[in-house]
Amino acid sequence: MTNSFTDYKNSDVFLMIGANPAENHPQVMRFAGIAAAKRGAKIIVVDPRFTKTAAKADIYAPIRPGTDIAFLYGIMNYAIENNLYFHDYVVNYTNASFLVSPEYGFSDGLFTGLTEKDGNFSYDTKTWQYQTDGANIKKDPTLQDPQCVFQILKRHVSRYDIKTVCNITGTPEDVYRKVCELYCSTGKPDKAGNLLYAMGITQHTYGGQNVRATAMLQLLLGNIGIAGGGVNAQRGESNVQGSTDQAMLYHYIPGYNPCPDVNTPTLKDYIEKQVPKTSYWSNRNKFIISMLKAWFGDKATAENDFCYGWLPKHTGKDHSHMAIFQAMAEGKIKGFFAWGQNPAVGGPLASRTRDALAKLDWMVGVDLFETETVSFWKRPGVNPADIKTEVFLLPTAMSYEKEGTVANSSRWIQWRWKAVEPPGEAKSDLWIADRIFKAIRKEYQAGGKFTDPILNMVWDYDVPGHDEPDIMKVGREMNGYLVADGSLLDSFAKLKEDGSTACGVWIYAGYMFVDPALKVPACQRRSREDKTGLGLFPKWSFAWPANRRIVYNRCSADPAGKPWDPAKTLVAWDGTQWITNDVPDFGFKDANTGAFIPPNISASNCFIMNTEGVGRLFAPTGMKDGPLPEHYEPIESPVKNLISKQQNNPVAARYKGDFAKVAHTASPEFPYIATTHRLVEHYQSGAVTRNCPTLAEFMPEMFATISPGLAKKLGVKPGDLIVVSTVRGEITCKANVLPIVKPLKVNGSEIEIVGLPWHWGYQGLAPGSTANDLTPFVGDPNTMIPEYKAFLCNVKKASGH
Amino acid sequence: MRKLSRRDFLRYLGLGTAGTALLEGVSAVPALASTAEDKLPSFDMGPVKIKKAKETPSVCAFCGCGCGLIVYSEGDRVIHIEGDPDNPNNEGSMCCKGIALGEANTIVDPKRKRTLNKQRVTEVLYRAPGSSKWEKKSWDWALAEIAKRVKKTRDESFEERDDKGIPVNRTQAIAHLGSASVDNEENYIMHKMLRALGVVNIDHHARL
Amino acid sequence: MSKGVLVDVTRCIGCKSCAVSCKTWNDLPSKTSTFTNNWDSPGKVTADAWTIITSFVIEQGDQIKWRFVKRQCMHCNEPACESACFTHSFVKTKEGAVIYKPTELKQDYCVGCRYCMIACPFGIPSFQWDKAFPYVQKCRFCYDRMKEQGLQPACVTSCPTQTLLFGDRDKLLKEAWDRINRDQRYVKHVYGEKEYGGTSWLYISDVPFDKIGFRTEAYGKPVSQKSIPSYTWDVLKWTPYIFFGWGAILTAMRAYTKRRAQVHDESELYEPEKKG
Repeated sequence: MTNSFTDYKNSDVFLMIGANPAENHPQVMRFAGIAAAKRGAKIIVVDPRFTKTAAKADIYAPIRPGTDIAFLYGIMNYAIENNLYFHDYVVNYTNASFLVSPEYGFSDGLFTGLTEKDGNFSYDTKTWQYQTDGANIKKDPTLQDPQCVFQILKRHVSRYDIKTVCNITGTPEDVYRKVCELYCSTGKPDKAGNLLYAMGITQHTYGGQNVRATAMLQLLLGNIGIAGGGVNAQRGESNVQGSTDQAMLYHYIPGYNPCPDVNTPTLKDYIEKQVPKTSYWSNRNKFIISMLKAWFGDKATAENDFCYGWLPKHTGKDHSHMAIFQAMAEGKIKGFFAWGQNPAVGGPLASRTRDALAKLDWMVGVDLFETETVSFWKRPGVNPADIKTEVFLLPTAMSYEKEGTVANSSRWIQWRWKAVEPPGEAKSDLWIADRIFKAIRKEYQAGGKFTDPILNMVWDYDVPGHDEPDIMKVGREMNGYLVADGSLLDSFAKLKEDGSTACGVWIYAGYMFVDPALKVPACQRRSREDKTGLGLFPKWSFAWPANRRIVYNRCSADPAGKPWDPAKTLVAWDGTQWITNDVPDFGFKDANTGAFIPPNISASNCFIMNTEGVGRLFAPTGMKDGPLPEHYEPIESPVKNLISKQQNNPVAARYKGDFAKVAHTASPEFPYIATTHRLVEHYQSGAVTRNCPTLAEFMPEMFATISPGLAKKLGVKPGDLIVVSTVRGEITCKANVLPIVKPLKVNGSEIEIVGLPWHWGYQGLAPGSTANDLTPFVGDPNTMIPEYKAFLCNVKKASGH
Repeated sequence: MRKLSRRDFLRYLGLGTAGTALLEGVSAVPALASTAEDKLPSFDMGPVKIKKAKETPSVCAFCGCGCGLIVYSEGDRVIHIEGDPDNPNNEGSMCCKGIALGEANTIVDPKRKRTLNKQRVTEVLYRAPGSSKWEKKSWDWALAEIAKRVKKTRDESFEERDDKGIPVNRTQAIAHLGSASVDNEENYIMHKMLRALGVVNIDHHARL
Repeated sequence: MSKGVLVDVTRCIGCKSCAVSCKTWNDLPSKTSTFTNNWDSPGKVTADAWTIITSFVIEQGDQIKWRFVKRQCMHCNEPACESACFTHSFVKTKEGAVIYKPTELKQDYCVGCRYCMIACPFGIPSFQWDKAFPYVQKCRFCYDRMKEQGLQPACVTSCPTQTLLFGDRDKLLKEAWDRINRDQRYVKHVYGEKEYGGTSWLYISDVPFDKIGFRTEAYGKPVSQKSIPSYTWDVLKWTPYIFFGWGAILTAMRAYTKRRAQVHDESELYEPEKKG
């Protein structure tokens, strides 16, 4: 999230698209309620289902699953055609004026540069680049040049007029027009539009471009970097922000530094290829060298490239969830840690996932409860004797049975104290990881393959006389310190590339630094001080980066440093100095002299993480499937693409064998669109909540929601057992008949929608069918996130009922 | 028949069942006929149940809102969970999941006593190849055996160089998933461990 | 001062934190339930679920409204349960809570006659059918919390959307009418202001109360504004004469309460509203 939950009270209009906060992030509805009461804020909800959130909307716009780009482009087109975009913001803070290569082109759904090799498609991004004049990018501040980004965007979105959009999305035209009018009202300096999204945006084969479209709309309306605005991804787990920060992902190492791969076998290669010349990422060499110092201590020296060679280099190909399970099914993966995750319910095509687990030699499960994953060998329908996998199940501690920090969706790193002891033999995950590593290290003391990183990794978390590792030691290593004296750093600005600083996670620099006034580590702060009344709460916990609560906050003021809306000042130039209500997200003070840097300098570098210094309405780099979003149909769709001949994202991530099964377009066997969702009573795969008796009582059974019309056609009554099937399999569950799903009129014909909650599996107090047994094994080419949100199914009354 | 008044009714009934335990203490009940507020009784309920409990500030383990909560505990049992009124994210309020968080440790049994949730895994368990049941094991045994498996798999599959001769120092035969449900510090050392082993197949909830 | 809670149905998002916090505070066990079409399992208050969220999907032409309504004891000003109980197990307190003395004050009066269950116009008191020594159970307005400085009922404390407002009943009434008068979406009615002589819990809504599970009519007429005790008295006075027909009455009541539960289950089935 660019902003924070506590900032939502400053919003004038909420555009909740692909998010259902009333069930999945209930506090959002509290803040939205405050904004409505205090500012008369309005809520727009865009969702295929009339959700509990939609029940609170001022405007509810139904949308066919997977048509968000068309929906968002239509609003952008409306803003441009009616001159409702925030002109001064767009000219100064986006790349609207930048000229793009004359070779760039787009035709019938495809961008220039698409190449094919062995049946696989990919884009060469050469033609998407800016025109340059030496080191400078060519610009046209009048936005008239036909090759400027603004004109390219204008041409691109002009195809998405209201009629076309509604034909694709199934949204009634009158409702859509109201959405355009209301949301474009936030294109004014004193209005804040808050675009919040969740998995309804990301879980598509063009999910990355869906997110791009949300950001572009916000840039056009000048809603980024301001209080009450932002692109706000509602993150789904208590520490999914933090686990992403710590890079529990194949393609990163902590702090969003790319994981070394075969293209960067040496530190020199890494610095050449991964450290850009401009933007704050030009400091990446400091981040990675400081991380290597934290990891390998005295062994890491300038002479040995700080032990960079000890890091594994991945193949440069896909090692994501779906790739892992395909490799597992092919017998290539022998050992598997399922650590606090339950892919046998939560992953796409979960039935095949469970089959793949049987190919393992060993599995280590670390969990609170006996999940479907750790008990896959005794699942219904299999004979345990046939499954040779050894399984270790290690009992772990619940959040309040240990201490540590979690980062919420607002990037606030908050400390949790320990309330009770873990039951029985259960241990904290910290203890378990510590002991497993020590046991492995012991094995390698007698020799083995490439023992250097194992034997030399800094692993010094013991406290004499204590069983539990010292979490403060881990925290200090993450926070960073001076190698010379071990003193903690208060900021990543102090990191060096010469090995004099060590820092495990550069964006966490300062989180353990003791607040001089409150005398506690920053992440343990509990002060409700909020001088601006804007909900910044600078002394409650610590927000990465640098305790900044609203990122890109330079954009809250005009190029001269005058706030667009003085009532919501985050930063302001008073003629001689900067007023900094939030931690500035730009160079505002000279690091050496301490002198203030006048506003004109930062005005052209307000998006400090982008090499061109401004927000990208057009992305020359960073996306594998185009510099601009374009509407494609989900891989499984009931209709042909109405906007171009290109049916699907040409570079979507696809997999092989059993995992390749998809229904063809407009399949008569699978006529309905299915979409998965969550419920307030349960959490993710239900591993915890289906074992909490009260939650199991309040939401006991798996169901599928169908419209009353479809129920009538199928002869199904509420509570009847029905079979929901896709080309990949079928599940049986209860029929939920409610008009919260209704058929949508798409290009003249009505299409039914089926809602499937995905919390159930065969274990726990409230077992039930697993929706993910049905979901397709295809994903976004940038993120490899699966397409859970739009696929084709059929529904029948279960026989004998 | 004479019209019964409410008090008469009670007297009649009382007389009719005199000697039974049914109506003991009735005389202590104030007049029912009066609805005037000041005549209604008030009772001392004693201290509320959290009065003597240990209070621990925590943060919810479910969604990304980051609601603060106060865990009230007695010994090893959680006796109540309430929103942390100071935490700006939720200011004392919670959703149903957050309030029920305590049930991962402590549930209320049918006799309304607080006990450990029996669904919790509280022992180290091992399932041998082809076996149809879990066996209880010690931590020491499990850690040593896991270490042996990791070493064997890693060493058998370790690639110091790839097929083009590029130094890669990795194993592709071990995979790790998880977790957005564990703390930052825990994730950090897990990540360090995995990279030290040369694991490249790493993923978790963020992708799902 | 007599306390109450104002429930603003327009604000509820159906998150059920009230229902769970009630169980957590009051140490109430949970058991397996079954699916309900409106996502509101267990569907009715029980001896172990003193407050629940009920849900109503209402179609008005093309528009849908989905409303979530917390149900619990209304804490009548003149409670029918209190007057129906010849052992005085229920008592209306000065603070507004109607409490059940056998469990609250450990004064064991209840004979299990379940008159309270029949008398209650809201169908709230619930019997512990599965216990050897059963009690009647219902919401106690967190009477213990109410008496503790700085605490409010558990459900009110946990509500994220300020659907529930705790305070002096007369002030809440004023607030209710202020909201109704400020915002034309509201139905011009405060449920509980006068129903059955008035209740401590008050509801305001933007959809008619009869569409969200409230009894607004009985036998074809608007529900009484008089308290039940003022009616039931005419019936209850006969109690001594039928006292000895005890077994027959209990049997009848068992059949009645079962039937009522059954009626509830049937009414859960989705029936679209007739248009127009």
